[in-house]
Amino acid sequence: MSKITKSDLQKIAQNEMLKQTSYKGMIMVCTGTGCVATGGFDIRDIFNETIKKHGIEKDWIAIGTGCNGFCAVGPIAVIQPQGVFYQKIEPSDIEEIVKEHMIGGKVVERLLHKDPVTGAINEKMEEIPFFSKQQLIALRNKGLIDPENIDHYIARGGYTALKSVLELNDPERTIQEVIKSGIRGRGGGGFPAGVKWESGRKAAIARNEEIFIVCNADEGDPGAYMDRSIIETDPHSVIEGMLIGAFATGSKEGYIYLRKEYPLALTRFEVAIKQARDYGLLGDNILGTDFGFDITVHRGAGAFVCGESSALMASMAGLPGEPRAKYIRSVEYGYKDKPTVLNNVETWANIPPIIEKGADWFASIGTGDVKENPWNGSSGTKVFSLVGDIRNTGLVEVPMGITLREIIDEIGGGVPDGRKFKAVQTGGPSGGCIPGSLLDMQVDFDTLTKAGSMMGSGGMIVMNDKTCMVDVARYFIDFLVDESCGKCTPCREGLFAMKGILENICNGKGKEGDIERLEELSATVIDASLCGLGTSAPNPVLSTIQYFKDEYDEHIKDKKCRAGICKDLIVYSINEKCVGCTACAKACPEKCITGEVKGMHYIDKEKCIKCGICVETCKFDAVEVK
Amino acid sequence: MSNKIEITINGNPVSVQKDTYLIKAILDAGLAVPTLCHHKDLTPNGTCRLCMVEIEERGKKKLVTSCNYPVRSSISVETKSEKVVKHRKLLAEMYLGRWPNVKPVQDVARLCGVTDGSRFKSEITDENPESCILCGKCVRACSEFIQEKIIDFAGRGFKRHITMPFGQTDPHCIGCTSCAFVCPTGAIKIVDDLNNPVDPIMIRDHGMKVNAEMATLDKNQCRMREVGTANIVEVMDKYDLLPVMNYQYGSHKDTWKIDSKVLKERYFTQDEPDACWFGCSMACAKAIDNFELKTGPYKGQKVCIDGPEYETAGSASNMGCFDGDFLAEFNFYCDTYGVDTISVGTCMAFVMECYENGIIDKEYTGGLEVPFGATDATLEILHQMARGEGFGVEVGQGIKKLKEKWSKMRPDMADFMHDIGMEAKGLEYSEYVSKESLAQQGGYTMAIKGPQHDEAWLIFMDMVNNQIPSFEDKAEALYYFPLFRTWFGILGLCKIVWNDVVPADNKTKYKPQDAAKIPDHVYNYWKFYEGMTGIAVDEEKMLNMSARVHNLQKVMGLMFGKGGRKEDTPPYRAMGPVTKAEYESRAERYDKQLKEQVGFDPEGKTTEEKMNALRDFRYSQYNKLMDSAYKRRGWDENGIPTKERLKELGIDIPEVVAILDRYLEKKNG
Ligand SMILES: Cc1cc2nc3c(=O)[nH]c(=O)nc-3n(C[C@H](O)[C@H](O)[C@H](O)COP(=O)(O)O)c2cc1C
Ligand code: SF4
Ligand code: SF4
Ligand code: FES
Repeated sequence: MSKITKSDLQKIAQNEMLKQTSYKGMIMVCTGTGCVATGGFDIRDIFNETIKKHGIEKDWIAIGTGCNGFCAVGPIAVIQPQGVFYQKIEPSDIEEIVKEHMIGGKVVERLLHKDPVTGAINEKMEEIPFFSKQQLIALRNKGLIDPENIDHYIARGGYTALKSVLELNDPERTIQEVIKSGIRGRGGGGFPAGVKWESGRKAAIARNEEIFIVCNADEGDPGAYMDRSIIETDPHSVIEGMLIGAFATGSKEGYIYLRKEYPLALTRFEVAIKQARDYGLLGDNILGTDFGFDITVHRGAGAFVCGESSALMASMAGLPGEPRAKYIRSVEYGYKDKPTVLNNVETWANIPPIIEKGADWFASIGTGDVKENPWNGSSGTKVFSLVGDIRNTGLVEVPMGITLREIIDEIGGGVPDGRKFKAVQTGGPSGGCIPGSLLDMQVDFDTLTKAGSMMGSGGMIVMNDKTCMVDVARYFIDFLVDESCGKCTPCREGLFAMKGILENICNGKGKEGDIERLEELSATVIDASLCGLGTSAPNPVLSTIQYFKDEYDEHIKDKKCRAGICKDLIVYSINEKCVGCTACAKACPEKCITGEVKGMHYIDKEKCIKCGICVETCKFDAVEVK
Repeated sequence: MSNKIEITINGNPVSVQKDTYLIKAILDAGLAVPTLCHHKDLTPNGTCRLCMVEIEERGKKKLVTSCNYPVRSSISVETKSEKVVKHRKLLAEMYLGRWPNVKPVQDVARLCGVTDGSRFKSEITDENPESCILCGKCVRACSEFIQEKIIDFAGRGFKRHITMPFGQTDPHCIGCTSCAFVCPTGAIKIVDDLNNPVDPIMIRDHGMKVNAEMATLDKNQCRMREVGTANIVEVMDKYDLLPVMNYQYGSHKDTWKIDSKVLKERYFTQDEPDACWFGCSMACAKAIDNFELKTGPYKGQKVCIDGPEYETAGSASNMGCFDGDFLAEFNFYCDTYGVDTISVGTCMAFVMECYENGIIDKEYTGGLEVPFGATDATLEILHQMARGEGFGVEVGQGIKKLKEKWSKMRPDMADFMHDIGMEAKGLEYSEYVSKESLAQQGGYTMAIKGPQHDEAWLIFMDMVNNQIPSFEDKAEALYYFPLFRTWFGILGLCKIVWNDVVPADNKTKYKPQDAAKIPDHVYNYWKFYEGMTGIAVDEEKMLNMSARVHNLQKVMGLMFGKGGRKEDTPPYRAMGPVTKAEYESRAERYDKQLKEQVGFDPEGKTTEEKMNALRDFRYSQYNKLMDSAYKRRGWDENGIPTKERLKELGIDIPEVVAILDRYLEKKNG
């Protein structure tokens, strides 16, 4: 490959499109981390072997793509351009798909998606509610390109935004465009990206210093994988975003701080960076101009707090990954004490479409009028990872301002197993829990914060009525106690004390005044902590107290856990529905269930360890938890 | 430009220097601030959060930690707002709950109005009155005082604790005890000291003052940690004291090519402190790694070079070689061959000036052209010197021998060569222009082993700081400093830490003559001595201790025929302008001196006439200086220690007296 110029981009795109349209269709096999775990790469290879075996390799080709988001039903293959969606594909299904669909022209119905609620069969991807409600900007190339082939990206308009920015050759106007789009950081803080770029550029010019561009791909929230998915799906969109940011701020050096546990994302980045370098899209004289920029991938240290900007930059510089207490912003004094613009993966991936389609288009999506002031609303879309007690777990990209109900019920398919919705936790471990009464709330930065939660990086955990909210608070505080770096007193000592109180409440040792004490501690941890981890950590406690205070009261005063989760507060017993089948007695690991065949069985409450096996074993609903 | 900012603290207006940490302003205003992680000599790390205050800036209120909040705008500060008091109380309670018996915790808690931490008693409560409270002062002391990371935090959250790498005793720990010194609780203790000093605490407490000065002052003083002695290159150039072309001039337009900026950016590679001994808080030694040599037996190899120090850079400018690569290579080969960069540099500068004046030529040198700036030829001569071949062998004899030989060859130039050959007692001068500093002329030339800066480096006191203006001051300095510096030598102490960092108030606290001695630092050294030996010293005791050695050295010098008035008199290049060009380069200064001090009106005189008048004046000045310095040292008018002086010092032992007698006999007989 040789270095390309601006005019070559279009040629590459045309050639690639010609190549792709010469096929009758392409089998886009998902090879995101989720589907790879269930055999994605094998599925792709077997497809290609089978196609060859049948001699139709001129008409059909199987291509590995990034994550589709619908990981619950993987491995997935989408036949493009028709859009037929096959799910849960076994290697043994492939011969049939090739024979029936590719050769015979008939869709294999048994592998199509069946709506779990209505039972309707959806042939096309866009007919499936999980996909139809989504609006794709950051994930615009999801399932449509091979992430390891730069020509695929270019064929779908990739790098034209960079080209137009270079042609305009007016960094300040580019920054204004980004400010006008209203885009706010997707990594948690929600700080307007363009404003940050502007400060960085000004600081670099004022001090005559070099400036760095950093992509935060640390993604430390447990269960969240939005950023990983973007990288695995479309690494060039992040690179192009960084290039535009670099040109606008005057940077020559960029870094990607990538979470250590993301080997596939690392490969995708490495391949993409190499291809971009070969094309001269990274390095000196990019697209034949005198603009130069290159990117180095830095692998993260593994701690949650390393995602915090000052800790991240310390870790990049080889220091302990701890936040620093300084009243100076990292955009002015960041990596190596030089101006540094840090943005999240998703923020970067949104930049090329903003440039391509214009700030007005982006600002028109979402809430509030952000054109004058980006703080006035939340524009664009947001990617969420939908997990927990929900039918369609997976990744979704939706416009800001969509309601929680739409996400949970329509896209997510609601709560399964006949259970009732209780709460949704948003914003990662230090987000808050939002109750059913607020489901019609708009999802955007400010509304979530007002409700006592936060956008965070886009985690969304749905909880059903078998969830104990005190236990949830305890669980998150436990996580945060482990992840607190321990540098500052309120977070280190305060969270530990909160954990103790919550454990007591869950263990039946709750006392009058515990709630007030949790609130008192929360106030100090929020106000006095050094970094964002501490200042947001009490959210899960405060929000559960706010919306589920009665559960706290029950735990403390009545020593009861209505969800049946807190072991010290529940007893197992067998009621008259018992038919004496002896199944539970056989299953009990403690052998504390006794009873005659066909006679009532009893649980020895002293010996019972409340493991719940009997409840699951009993076919007659005879074991009760109170 | 005023850098003052008006703020209010609890409603009272206060004016503070921009960028002052808020805590200082509050403490200066006489208010108390509870802190557990703040230390005046360490970078604030803002972790205990107790020092928080509420500020209002442009109508917006927020809580900040005062220890690390720099004042940059007109804020109003509340040190006891409702929020502040509430949070402080709770934080103090947390501390007390975890470390109920630690005295500083109890004190701070009391300040916050808390005496009972039992609400926060838990399984991690530590009853030990000397437990670590995670303030991090020890970690910062290790890294900021001695630039090491021997002690650090490990573990996250409440498992955070202080440790050495891998939980083992790190053999790199030199036992400087900085950490124990700053630890507020006694969690770190000195358990043993193999040197077995009488009073380790005394040594530590005084050493710590130097550590703190290094951590806080060096970056604005000499930058010894950053660039080492090389920082002097540009300073000397600025004050017209850098030897250029065999001490003819004191500055040069190309000095920037070998100054500390270039050395730092292009040459020095070792970021870590590179000290003579591990743990030195100054760590001024610098080094260049992977330098590819262009000449000599190691040509093409990549080597590590220890330096360059100032004197080596000064040698380069003295030879007119303003070339960083040359400087590095010259440094390496001098070190490798075991010759001194100063002696070679000064000697080559002499050779170059002789070459330019036609005393020797290309034929004589065996084909080498050696004008000023001849970098390649200089390296070749150095290699010849080491191989024992050619012209190098002759240069290797040093200036004294060259002068003698070449004077016979060119008797017409003998006087000139004696004027410009910068040696005394057979040793080459080190790299400072002493022409305009009478005190330094004496400091160099009266030094017992020859003109080196080690015995009395008075140039800055005399010329730049003007601390020893009168004649008596200079004579006193020529008494005190050689003895004081000899004392370092006797004890094997480094003298760089004595004067390459200076207490911030040195100049305001003492009058000029005393300030020059840096009394606070001298005092530290006395305490090191006392802490080690148990014997208290003061100035008199110290000087007498030294005077015995110094006089003995002098007698030894006499034994080798070195000493006496003639040997103590410098070549004129060290005292004033030898050539017309030199005079004219500083005509204004010299004319002024002639007019004001000599009573010779330069108006309408030729340069030669003025030069002669100046030469006479400067010689007479120098002779006067010798007279008074000898007297102050207890020596006779010829610079020979009197027997009374030897007796007074208790070194009038027969062998010593015999040496003296033999010398006098020879001289008079
Ligand atoms: C404890 C903590 C963890 C964080 N982790 C992440 C993370 O994993 N990824 C991320 O992009 N931002 C994370 N952030 C937010 C970053 O500090 C920073 O605001 C963000 O990367 C800026 O990019 P953006 O403006 O594009 O969001 C974290 C913040 C805190 C306080
Ligand atoms: S708030 Fe928590 S994570 Fe942040 S610096 Fe303090 S102890 Fe560390
Ligand atoms: S050992 Fe002492 S100085 Fe170090 S952190 Fe603990 S209390 Fe502070
Ligand atoms: S003294 Fe400021 S945070 Fe400890």
